Amino acid sequence: MLSITDLTVSYGPVEALNGVTISVPRGEITAVIGANGAGKSTLMRTLAGLVTPTAGQATLDGEVITRKSPEDIVRMGVALVPEGRSTIPELTVEENLRLGGLWRAKSDRRAAQAEVFDLFPVLAERQRMRADTLSGGERQQLAIGRALMSNPKCLLLDEPSLGLAPLIVTQILHLVRRLADETRIAVLLVEQNAVTALRMADTGVVLNLGRIVQTGPASEIASDEKLRHAYLGY
Amino acid sequence: MTSLLRFPGGRLVGHAAFVIIIWFLIMRLNDSVDPLANYYIALVAMYATAMFGMVILVGLSGQVSLGNGALMAVGGYVFAVTSLHWQTVPILGVPWNGWWSMAFAAVGGIVVGLLIGGIAARLRGPYLAGLTLGLAVGVPAIANRFPELLGGESGLMITVPYPDGGYAPVEEEVFVDGTVEGQSGDASSVAVPSAEATVSPDDMLTLDNFPAADASAAAPSVDASVSPDDMLTLDNFPAADASAAAPSVDASSGDLGATDLSGAGDLIDAGFIIERWQAGLAITVACIAAFIALNLVRGRQGRVWRAVRDDSIAAAVSGISPAKAKVSAFAVSSLFAALAGAVFAQILSYVGPGAFGLGLSLSLLVGVVLGGRSSLLGAVIGGLLLVWLPEFVLSLAERGGWEDQITNNAPNLIYGLLVVLVVLLAPGGIVGSVQLLISKVTRRAPKGV
Amino acid sequence: MTSFIDYLIGGVSNGAVIALMAIALVLIWRATRVVNFAQVGQAMFTTFVALTVQTVTGSWVLALAVAMVAGAILGVIVQFLVLRPMRRADTSGAIIATFGVLIALQAAVGMIWGGDAQAYPQPFDNAGIVAFGRIWPISVYDLVVIGVTILLVVALSLLFTRTSIGLAMRASAFNPEVARLSGVRVSRVLTFGWALAGVVGAVAGVLVAPSSTVSPTTFDILLVFAFTAAVIGGLDSLVGAVALGVFAGLVISLVSGLSNSGNAPVVALILLALSLITKPDGVFGHHKARAV
Repeated sequence: MLSITDLTVSYGPVEALNGVTISVPRGEITAVIGANGAGKSTLMRTLAGLVTPTAGQATLDGEVITRKSPEDIVRMGVALVPEGRSTIPELTVEENLRLGGLWRAKSDRRAAQAEVFDLFPVLAERQRMRADTLSGGERQQLAIGRALMSNPKCLLLDEPSLGLAPLIVTQILHLVRRLADETRIAVLLVEQNAVTALRMADTGVVLNLGRIVQTGPASEIASDEKLRHAYLGY
Repeated sequence: MTSLLRFPGGRLVGHAAFVIIIWFLIMRLNDSVDPLANYYIALVAMYATAMFGMVILVGLSGQVSLGNGALMAVGGYVFAVTSLHWQTVPILGVPWNGWWSMAFAAVGGIVVGLLIGGIAARLRGPYLAGLTLGLAVGVPAIANRFPELLGGESGLMITVPYPDGGYAPVEEEVFVDGTVEGQSGDASSVAVPSAEATVSPDDMLTLDNFPAADASAAAPSVDASVSPDDMLTLDNFPAADASAAAPSVDASSGDLGATDLSGAGDLIDAGFIIERWQAGLAITVACIAAFIALNLVRGRQGRVWRAVRDDSIAAAVSGISPAKAKVSAFAVSSLFAALAGAVFAQILSYVGPGAFGLGLSLSLLVGVVLGGRSSLLGAVIGGLLLVWLPEFVLSLAERGGWEDQITNNAPNLIYGLLVVLVVLLAPGGIVGSVQLLISKVTRRAPKGV
Repeated sequence: MTSFIDYLIGGVSNGAVIALMAIALVLIWRATRVVNFAQVGQAMFTTFVALTVQTVTGSWVLALAVAMVAGAILGVIVQFLVLRPMRRADTSGAIIATFGVLIALQAAVGMIWGGDAQAYPQPFDNAGIVAFGRIWPISVYDLVVIGVTILLVVALSLLFTRTSIGLAMRASAFNPEVARLSGVRVSRVLTFGWALAGVVGAVAGVLVAPSSTVSPTTFDILLVFAFTAAVIGGLDSLVGAVALGVFAGLVISLVSGLSNSGNAPVVALILLALSLITKPDGVFGHHKARAV
């Protein structure tokens, strides 16, 4: 279980995150939603070790992961799929995947790759192709696959729907749902596209200007009209 | 007071007044010191002139250039060739004098600067640095391609023109004693040494072979300037010889018609001192360059350059042409480099591939980085540093009894390490650091330039 | 016509050395977006180390090996002390700093070994090979140079395509953030890249030394040639560096042979300027420049 406690991040005088507390249990999807600039990406980058928090901490199964390097955090079991095209277009599909588990023993890597191919069969078909020949949806699958190669206990997904057709987004989120159910992985999902995200998630967290304004079961948040008007803008 | 200077053109007047005062003060200083000090002043002024251009190019427009030594070569060679071959100015038909050569050197500098700037404007950082590196190595090698005109590897001796007051060709009789073949017999021609006057390095090592040996006290400055191609250390310059030059005015006064020594023991005031004249020229050129640079840097053009350096896309959006800005920075810096090169040629009485090699380009970069990349004052401080440090090391070496091998390389080792340290710890160089210190003390934000 | 072909054949070993130095530049550029202008200074230093080893032991192979180790160490030192602490945004600063290192290294070489040009002993037969009834413009030594270069290029390409460290290097070069998020210790990988470039540069230095003399500034011109080759090749491309390096060697050999060697720098300058005018991102470069 990933526990985030009172996490605060400032860029100079600007506080991007302010006392954020979230629990992400295993086998569940927690969706953080909010408008642009709410601090969603900062949250993800802080958890992955790319940003150092000014206060608070995050733990994975009791072990502190904040203020560690991204390389170490991956090894501890937290993998981030960053926003946008987070594959390396110059490398082949197989190389992108191999990269995700480069630090692991060869046999573990093989096993992980088989699981990824099982989850995303299209990647197995395109193994030898360069990543920049893939479609947007395939590339997002590759990015998630790369993260899974490290056999994470917790997967951080930053805006997986960005720039993808709605149908493809639904497909990908279904796969994530299956992943959470089958592997008991904890998933923290950040989305601007609140409707889709909440439909797939167990818990919803609404973030506004760096603060949590509401936490609750995803279905409740989805049906709260006031919340929707005030913070989600639809 | 400040409001007085605000009317249109007020800044121009202010800058002019400032530069004239500085010019006057340094000229007074120049007149009151011995020839060795004159020689040092000339070098500092020469370096400062070239580095004003580096400040504009590297500091303001953000283009790292290693080619400014090559651009100095353009100025130096234009000066040398025109002063060796012209008795009258082509087309205009008026009698030639040194100022014409300076003017042509300046024009040559601008033309080459525009040419290179046109290519450079398209290039990003390391590509540009590489191109200018190619210039630094390739341009001096062009001299080898045209040995007849440019003197090849051994370069050209120039014996310009230092009679008091005017800046005209040397009088005939000065050359009658010259031992250059083909010259002495030809008394009817104006004794401007032509291409035959190119002397091989061996010949130049002895003063007797130097055509104007008895004409100017600058003669000793030739021997050291010829051979090595490493200009970063001043050891190549005849520090010792230059000081010996003062007595030589006395010794050779029999040959110098002009020096009717009034019996006074004061050598410094006795007659024409070539180092002092050269230093005066260098100071004047540096001040003209400083005036131009001040107006550009503190005016609209300076803002344009900085805008392009900081964010060329944003600059382009606000209607500034980044390409034009980069080319103009190159042209201005090339103009200054060419002027400095022409002055350098006269200080050395010589141009050659070795004197304008990669070492010179690197030393300009060192000076401007240490002094302060984006400050004109930094250029002057950088010039002082380039002249002072080798002398300081030499004095340490003499006291400590260092081996030559250590002494000769110590200045460059220090320069190299200092450059790295400055880039890492104090990117603003000496001037930037002092500004930062002052602003910390007075608790104000640091001002630009 | 015979002489034309002779010059071409004679230029191959020249080109091999230029190619190696260009590879060293490309290795570091790909990894860190810095052109290491100090590379020839490092190579000069290690070549003098090799000269010392060879003078003492008489073994060329040992000298080469020591130079390679020294090259790796020197590369790591330069990266660790100079480039690693550098702020990423200051591209001018990085360029200037590498020149600072070059100046300091050349001075250090002058201090330790003296500023005069010294002869580097020729380890193999340097006379033209006699075969098929004529003397060929290529010697045993040239063949050794070419052979070592090919060996090194093959080893490098295997390293990049077949090994984990190779994949880590490529990933770190293309997208350091994704590499870090994948668990690659990018800063260590970069240091390894500097060491590798140092090794390649050191080999280039030792290979070229016997055909000229060595002094602190001898390799300046090699830097220009190598940079020219690397730039025309696209700076990102090892294949380009090798191809254009050899090509540059051939052109230089032709120019030197048909006119005189003093013209070679001018030719390099013209080649460089032309290529930058027509293709600012190089012949083998990516179709569009990546925003850095």
